Amino acid sequence: MSIAAESNKGSVLIEAQGIDKAFPGVKALSQAQIKVHAGEVVALMGENGAGKSTLMKILTGVYQPDAGTVSVGGKPVTLPDPRTAQALGIGIIHQELFLMNDLTAAQNIYIGREPRKAFGMFVDEDRMNADAAKIFARMKVDIDPKVEVGKLTVARQQLVEIAKALSYNSKILIMDEPTSALNEAEVAHLFAIIDDLKAQGVGIVYITHKMDEVKRIADDIVIMRDGQYIDTLPAATTTIGEVISAMVGRDLIDTSRAHGQGSDEIALKVTNLNAGRAVQNVNFTLNKGEILGFAGLMGAGRTEVARAIFGADPVDSGRIEVHGKAVDIKSPRDAVQLGIAYLSEDRKHFGLVTGMSVRDNITMPSWERFTSNGVFMRDADLGSIAKEYVEKLKVKTPTVDQETRLLSGGNQQKVVIAKWLLRDCDILIFDEPTRGIDIGAKAEIYKLLQGLADEGKAIIVISSELPEVLKLSHRIVVMCEGRITGELEGKTATQEAIMTLATQRVEAAE
Amino acid sequence: MTDTTQEAPTNKVITSSFLQKAVAFVVLIILLAFFSIFAPNFAAWSNMVNIMQATAVNGVLGVAVTFVIISGGIDLSVGTMMTLTAVISGLILTNLGMPLPVGIAGAIAFGGFMGSLSGVAVAKLKIPPFIATLGMMQIARGLALVFSGAKPIYFNSTPNYGLLSPESSISLLIPGLEMPNSVFIMFGVAILASIVLNRSILGRYIFALGSNEEAARLSGVVVDKWKIITYGISGMICGVAGLLVSSRLNSAQPALGLGYELDAIAAVVIGGTSLAGGRGTVMGTIIGAFIMSVLTNGLRVMGVQEEWKIVVTGLIIIVAVYIDIVLRKQS
Amino acid sequence: MKKTLLVAALGATTAFSAPAFAEDVYFPIIAKGFSHQFWQAVKLGAENAAAANGVTITFEGPNTEAEIDKQTDILNAAIAKKPQGLGFAALDSQAQVPALKKAADAGIPIVAFDSGVDSDIPLTTCTTDNLAAAAGAAKGLAEAIGGEGEVAAVIHDQTSATGIGRRDGFLNEIAANYPNITIVDVQYANDALKAADTIKTIMQAHPNLKGIFASNEGAAIGLAVAIKETGAQIAGVGFDSGKTQKDAILDGSLIGSITQNPVGIGECVVDSLAKAIKGETLPPVIDTGFYWYDASNMNEANIAAVLYD
Repeated sequence: MSIAAESNKGSVLIEAQGIDKAFPGVKALSQAQIKVHAGEVVALMGENGAGKSTLMKILTGVYQPDAGTVSVGGKPVTLPDPRTAQALGIGIIHQELFLMNDLTAAQNIYIGREPRKAFGMFVDEDRMNADAAKIFARMKVDIDPKVEVGKLTVARQQLVEIAKALSYNSKILIMDEPTSALNEAEVAHLFAIIDDLKAQGVGIVYITHKMDEVKRIADDIVIMRDGQYIDTLPAATTTIGEVISAMVGRDLIDTSRAHGQGSDEIALKVTNLNAGRAVQNVNFTLNKGEILGFAGLMGAGRTEVARAIFGADPVDSGRIEVHGKAVDIKSPRDAVQLGIAYLSEDRKHFGLVTGMSVRDNITMPSWERFTSNGVFMRDADLGSIAKEYVEKLKVKTPTVDQETRLLSGGNQQKVVIAKWLLRDCDILIFDEPTRGIDIGAKAEIYKLLQGLADEGKAIIVISSELPEVLKLSHRIVVMCEGRITGELEGKTATQEAIMTLATQRVEAAE
Repeated sequence: MTDTTQEAPTNKVITSSFLQKAVAFVVLIILLAFFSIFAPNFAAWSNMVNIMQATAVNGVLGVAVTFVIISGGIDLSVGTMMTLTAVISGLILTNLGMPLPVGIAGAIAFGGFMGSLSGVAVAKLKIPPFIATLGMMQIARGLALVFSGAKPIYFNSTPNYGLLSPESSISLLIPGLEMPNSVFIMFGVAILASIVLNRSILGRYIFALGSNEEAARLSGVVVDKWKIITYGISGMICGVAGLLVSSRLNSAQPALGLGYELDAIAAVVIGGTSLAGGRGTVMGTIIGAFIMSVLTNGLRVMGVQEEWKIVVTGLIIIVAVYIDIVLRKQS
Repeated sequence: MKKTLLVAALGATTAFSAPAFAEDVYFPIIAKGFSHQFWQAVKLGAENAAAANGVTITFEGPNTEAEIDKQTDILNAAIAKKPQGLGFAALDSQAQVPALKKAADAGIPIVAFDSGVDSDIPLTTCTTDNLAAAAGAAKGLAEAIGGEGEVAAVIHDQTSATGIGRRDGFLNEIAANYPNITIVDVQYANDALKAADTIKTIMQAHPNLKGIFASNEGAAIGLAVAIKETGAQIAGVGFDSGKTQKDAILDGSLIGSITQNPVGIGECVVDSLAKAIKGETLPPVIDTGFYWYDASNMNEANIAAVLYD
């Protein structure tokens, strides 16, 4: 432990020591530990698979540890189930929201423990709404307790989750990547709330991959690697490089921009593309060997442009040319046959059939090429070609028969890339290529993308992380409210220039 | 965890579906052993033949539903579709006087046609499979009554028809072995279906659709086409069941068939196929169908009241699915 | 050689008297089903009588005999049309009494048929006495096996009046008059395929079985199939008719069967309604009778007339 000012901290709220946890075939945690003081934000960092979630599941009673102790307020406790953890004041806000969209904010917050009236026969909605309003007031947010959660933005839904956790009088709040779906302004608001909670003596465990956030809000950084506790570092004085080397066990981040030279040959030309309200009059070109960055705020229409080009959503009007020829793309299949691939940010839902093997996922778009007589699958050939790509892209998997759901985020992304490479796609549209991927794997994905561009693939990278866009792109297209508001040279672009364009609202006039 | 080395293959899906099938098989063996001890006359070979024959129709219908369920859908129309195809073969053979192979092919083809209509409703009209096939269940039932004039159609003009299902052709090859053709037809359908599901591109797409339809679509899979084919195959297999039942009764009984879909779905579920799609086996379904008919037969031989037999079948369904859930948790 | 065991006085001798209604007279006839052969024969009789009496009828029924609620809907729709009379075969002898009461209050004469209603609302009930008919089947079966040995019954339904009546009629007759016959099993099967498998199981469990009674057409088809498939030397007795059953009797797979008089039931309903609106009084029950038939008498005119394919 390298903390100097232990005495300045509040009392210890929760402490876990010597935690071991094994699953069949996997040792998930080995001597893991964490300690949270009152009024402190502890950032929990580590690559995917480092054991962060498993440790949090032990603190919230989802899993039982094989060895080790958990104490709350200095007293050893057992946490046989989530209810017990809640009762002890341990709340968690999951990365994926668990809210019922058709219920109101207050109903969601008090689900399963609604205040009753009339001898317990009816829910006391008035009291419930008043209580929820009190919590929102404490958080300084103006959400109507009676609004249906489905009508709120993702950011505000997240605030409802936080309110729900607070409603248990949680002294310890665990937040699992709470900003992954938030824009800058929403993140700032969330951090203000976290500061308030700190001031009220709540201890927070903050799981994230984003270094800048850690620097802004964390007091201590707890690093985990391969299921083990590595170190606790003071956030104020630790550099990003130090954190990353502690996480991955080696120095690897290369923040320099590495731009090869794109060719002048146009691979994809989009003219006056319109698709619903989210895509209005979009024009751009993409060259072979080039990485074209798409920047913008959440909801700027970047994903919608990609889906429209890919044939996943209907196009209202516009012209798309692929390698100089006008094309009519009506379905993803048409796009794939033209060599266009779309790699969704949501790999679990749109990118992978997670219940199927690495082999089947890599080969899925190409299955029809691996049949005898067009009927039977040549499984041996599928296996060997999949193995070839697994090795080429360095996918970490025991065998190609492994189910993809068991792989880490970075390796899942590599499987998705592999399947499009095998399908001979030369126009690759990446939507948030590193979302949910830990830093070590990020660098690998960057290198992979640059390598693909160098091979002559035409690549679009949609990303909300500006450093990522700046690092990768030859050119950067910026969108705001369904329109392209500007184009920047990758070499000279700055975060400020991008943000200016990203917030440049085009008034209704043409 | 991140540092995964080249270890022995651990494909957990294969393990758990194998386990489930193994569990179903063990249950089947236990039931057979139980009844052999406690039900006099149960263990005779002739009774085993009875059980297999009684399984044939439900087994074949179960295979039909298995296809659709693995693809992420459900088919409630299999029972009445069976009846409709039986009526169609009656129309072709008795009313039109066409030769036997035309009747057989016609019934199967018509089943395929009607099934693919369900598929179109699901894939193109985006009607939930439960509703689309509920509608088709009624349509098939109504058409069976209309086409037959609400009267049974008899196959007396095609004397060989009545031999298709109950006759024991194997006896010609192996004298002394008595086993109705319907049993071999059931196993034939099951083996063929197994090969299609596990080895063919259609089968691979069926699993992909059931696991994650949207991801398959975004991979360039023509989802609609494969869905329609899946329901079409279910209909064709119903055609086979229609032949089995009408051949055995030597008549197409237009009022029969309602409720058979639930027995078929029960067999699928007992056999370890997940109603959520993406996971399941044909052989599991056949074992499930056997469990149901062993139970029915054994309890009858023991003289257990009909009412209790129904209760026990319900319990077995729940227990089988519970085992499935426990196994999935562990994987 | 057995001849007709009993032919009840047919209350339904079709009247050839000239139609004598000033206005158009309409009777909705609501059966328990329509797809079954039996109901088609009832419909035929009803249509014959309607033509003879110069009245219009409609003949309707639910899809299956389990759909009591649907039959009630049909009944309510019929009452709403304010017909001059109503023929009704209740799926449930009690549940539909309130609906019938509504009709009676509206002054619509009601004639029940096939099975009765637990109420005095219907002016009369045209029906087969199922107890007596099944007793007839028991007699035929008992005589065929020489009055001794093991027998079993396969009944088409556990809960309906016909299922219960035929089961009890068969069992009571054996118990009362054939002390050397043992009933070893009573099972239920609601369609031909299930009946066939059920009967083969019964044969398995009771190797010394001498005879089986099947209580409706579907069960009888299953019985014929099971006997053919096993080649067992068992005396089978069926109920109702249908081509499969008739063929099985002719080729010896079944020894005989009981037929109701469905055509007579249909005639009785319409005739009784016509009489009712003319103000004639009716007996509370009109037994439309049953016949024992076997290979020897199937072609006799009075039998052939009530058998259907």
